[in-house]
Amino acid sequence: MSETAPKPTITLDGKCIPFEPGDTIMRAAERANLDSDIPRFCYHPGLPVAGTCRMCTVEIEKSPKLMTSCSTPATDGMIVHTQSPKVRQSRAGVMEFLLINHPLDCPVCDQAGECSLQNYNYEYGPGTSEFKEQKRIFEKAETKKLSERLTLNMNRCVHCERCVRFTESVTKTNELLMNHRGWKKELTTALEEGVFNEYQGNIADICPVGAITFNDFRFKKRVWFLKPKETICDGCSKGCSVFADEEKNIVHRYRARENKAVNGHWICDAGRVSFHRRQEPQRVVEPLLRPTGSTGLVASNWLTVLPWFAKAIAEAKKILFVLGTDTTIEEAKALQHDFPQATFRMLNGIDGINTSKDDAPVDQLLRRKDQTPNTRGLEELGFTALDGGETGYELAIYFKSGRAAARSKKLAAIEVAWGVWFSPEITDFTAVIPGLSHLEKRGSFTNCDGITQSFVPAVTPLGMASSVEKVLHALNAKSRSQSKEALHVPL
Amino acid sequence: MAKVVSRKESFWDRFYIPALLIGLSVTLKHFFRSLVLGKTKTIQYPEVKREYSQRFRGRHFISIDQNKIENCTSCYLCQTVCPAECITIVAEERDPAQNPYGVAKEKKPLSFDIDALRCCFCGMCEEACPKDAIKLSRDYELATLNRDEAMYDLNYLKREVKGRG
Ligand code: SF4
Ligand code: SF4
Ligand code: SF4
Ligand code: SF4
Repeated sequence: MSETAPKPTITLDGKCIPFEPGDTIMRAAERANLDSDIPRFCYHPGLPVAGTCRMCTVEIEKSPKLMTSCSTPATDGMIVHTQSPKVRQSRAGVMEFLLINHPLDCPVCDQAGECSLQNYNYEYGPGTSEFKEQKRIFEKAETKKLSERLTLNMNRCVHCERCVRFTESVTKTNELLMNHRGWKKELTTALEEGVFNEYQGNIADICPVGAITFNDFRFKKRVWFLKPKETICDGCSKGCSVFADEEKNIVHRYRARENKAVNGHWICDAGRVSFHRRQEPQRVVEPLLRPTGSTGLVASNWLTVLPWFAKAIAEAKKILFVLGTDTTIEEAKALQHDFPQATFRMLNGIDGINTSKDDAPVDQLLRRKDQTPNTRGLEELGFTALDGGETGYELAIYFKSGRAAARSKKLAAIEVAWGVWFSPEITDFTAVIPGLSHLEKRGSFTNCDGITQSFVPAVTPLGMASSVEKVLHALNAKSRSQSKEALHVPL
Repeated sequence: MAKVVSRKESFWDRFYIPALLIGLSVTLKHFFRSLVLGKTKTIQYPEVKREYSQRFRGRHFISIDQNKIENCTSCYLCQTVCPAECITIVAEERDPAQNPYGVAKEKKPLSFDIDALRCCFCGMCEEACPKDAIKLSRDYELATLNRDEAMYDLNYLKREVKGRG
């Protein structure tokens, strides 16, 4: 008899679901994707359980009291009701207490639209209040900067302490703590300098109400206008999963997207604001060309630049391609395929990092030294770093995705920058070809741990920027038939 | 089969003078009433303007407080509800140094544009506004000489409107 023992199960609202030993009821419901019926303020899957908000209580048969599902261990054969009248009555009570002192300034509150308090009140709240007295007001903390990046409005706080537990157990920096007790309980910073960790944006994400907001997004947009697009962050070699929240082709914020294999529930602050790079005014979104005999670059168009580029490629005997380590795997392969005669090198060029061996974690959580997303991916394709020994090239093409074309010396007579954003040195190039941000691309990156992640465009290209495939297609069409008409303009 | 109907008119039917006199007497009656007795139904527009009902929905304005600061907090509810999509708001934080109201007015519109050419004067924006900021006045003279004038910006919307607000 070698039968494996059947998994223990609980019955949740009439559905029989298995669980792993050690699971709480909430965790078991999460595993079965049934947790949306259990409201919660203090519970967060990425944080230690506190069991303080009493919102997640459920009725367990044969148990006289309601139990908090976030902290009650599941046992085999347990019968749980999440929507019984007793449970709903308890939740209405919790909601009424929370709303006694709540300012209800949803019109000015950035959380409105994704606020747990709003949502649960529609779902479970009593809708009326018996409270006729003056509401409690934290005068000093009505709007208080916790740091450069976070703003606190203490009146809106529901005392779930997710923020405190985040600084305790995730960043282990302990900047936040709760002072006093009862209705005077107030969130304060432990030190004068406020919150200083590099993962503060997550606190604004996990705060279930609008008490803590992220300054970069504060007052920028109402959340119900935004469409979340699943993508990954290209801020460092970790490649954290994010939602890019977009409206009318403008990205307004990144939010962490759960990915156990890469970033868990969190992203760093530098990554959180890295989407701005796509929309910076200094981004090159039209082809630039240096007229013969001139020193400056002038705005041009595809019809002028593509024939020029095709001619430069056809005339050059030795071509050097320098791929920035933010090139996607697919782009690198396509360029290699279309330019078999060229030499390929890769270039990181940020903080003295050349290969993935120079990369290292910056802290215990996520951040990496290498601030480009695909160094490892290019290495695995066999590219080697630019070593300074390259001479005798007639055409050098720097391929980047929004980063500066850092280079120490001129490598060829004609130098083309492809996909760089404006930086002082681009005036040295003969031509600049606008490329895409990774938010506008389809492709894959291999992160520092060797995990290859693919992504699809979250937004469409700005200006005249065009993808590698389209430019290569136009160049190939040009070389197939030498007539100018055959040139497809990649727009 | 069409049926032929005779439409023969008598002499009196064709004799038009009595009908003409009846008609003329109505004209003369009104001529006498308006010229001599001064009883008119028309008004001397544009010197005299028609009073519309209190509930008439005309050109928008944004109500202001005693310090001439707009009551709008840029909640975007009017923009959200507007069926014609003619409201465009950009919000920002009010400079704390110039904000005597504190948290109540910390968010303000940086720009607030209404495209009156798209507006259907449904009044939903007025109804949605939690701050009684956007309102429709009784001003019904909306003709402009060019399209730009029909784009109302924040400065224009903050004008003082008598009667309501
Ligand atoms: S925290 Fe939620 S309920 Fe409170 S004001 Fe903000 S949106 Fe409204
Ligand atoms: S600030 Fe937000 S996360 Fe922190 S205790 Fe209050 S409601 Fe919870
Ligand atoms: S009156 Fe109606 S159509 Fe005009 S701005 Fe208001 S909501 Fe929009
Ligand atoms: S609904 Fe009222 S407060 Fe909100 S943005 Fe419109 S005018 Fe301003």
